[in-house]
Amino acid sequence: MKYTKEMKSFAKVAAACVWVALLLTQCTKPKPLPVFGQREVVNGDTVYHTIAPFLFVNQDSLPITNQTFANKIYVADFFFTSCRTICPIMKTQMLRVYEAIQNEDDVLILSHTIDPEWDTVALLRDFAGRLGVESKKWHFVTGTKDSIYKIAQTSYFATALEDKSEPDGFIHSGAFLLVDRQQRIRGKYDGTKEEDVNRLIADIAWLKQEYAR
Amino acid sequence: MRDKIVGGFLLLLTACSGRDPKFQQYYVQGEKLYQQHCSNCHQKNGMGLGRVYPPLAQSDYMQNNFDRVICLMRHGMQGEMVVNGVTYNQAMPGIPTLTELELAELATYIYNTGEHARGPVRLEDVARSLKTCP
Repeated sequence: MKYTKEMKSFAKVAAACVWVALLLTQCTKPKPLPVFGQREVVNGDTVYHTIAPFLFVNQDSLPITNQTFANKIYVADFFFTSCRTICPIMKTQMLRVYEAIQNEDDVLILSHTIDPEWDTVALLRDFAGRLGVESKKWHFVTGTKDSIYKIAQTSYFATALEDKSEPDGFIHSGAFLLVDRQQRIRGKYDGTKEEDVNRLIADIAWLKQEYAR
Repeated sequence: MRDKIVGGFLLLLTACSGRDPKFQQYYVQGEKLYQQHCSNCHQKNGMGLGRVYPPLAQSDYMQNNFDRVICLMRHGMQGEMVVNGVTYNQAMPGIPTLTELELAELATYIYNTGEHARGPVRLEDVARSLKTCP
């Protein structure tokens, strides 16, 4: 069979179409969220940074460990109830996250107090009740000061320090951290900014899809 | 003649808007101060947060306790308080550096926002209230 000029140009157009289609699928192909922290290769497998083992107590006096979040996605932050600078905004924004995930069985929230001397279990219980949130969904935890500061800095890359020269006595970041089912950090957001928290809410849905695929 | 016309027009404008320029000025400054000092907890819209921080936009406490509201902005308050039938118990730090003028501006803002329409809060109102502080 002999190619006519028309057939040749048709073939060219068709090839171009296939290329464009390929490019488009590349663009729309779901891009997974990044994994934060150091990684190393052990025996050919990549080992990611994960949250170190912890044991805290929540507002119901129940022990809260990594196991509480097994096979769950969760959002973590650091705050204290008497804080009047960024925490009220963080709690307003976390309440938005809570409302967004209220009916999602596999998404939880974990708020650590960085002022365990003041924020007793009873006080955290009162605070959670006043926010009107359920403890099975949103854990407010306390523990020894050292263990909280250490996990903040080494596991969540969040700042939490005592500093008497600060207006409230502490330095801490307003970060919200998104942790996946393997306890890897998949997102960091400014919990005082509405747009950042919108992004977090979208990323939670995105991460859920990642597991659904 | 021209001045009179302009003056008359201005008078008409302020009468129509129902707010004298001083009221407007206090309100605008008060809003700025509110965003700076109060909105973290009481929220930008004045609705408060759960049972942690009481609302200001609708508040029987504010209606019934003008003097105390002025005092607590400067001196803070602790312990339980009931607002619209709900008990709150979160300490509020005062801001001792607020001048009487700033208190008047803040009060003008919060008392004319949401459901409140008290009209301007003047310097002399603030001075009188401050004398009642515990």
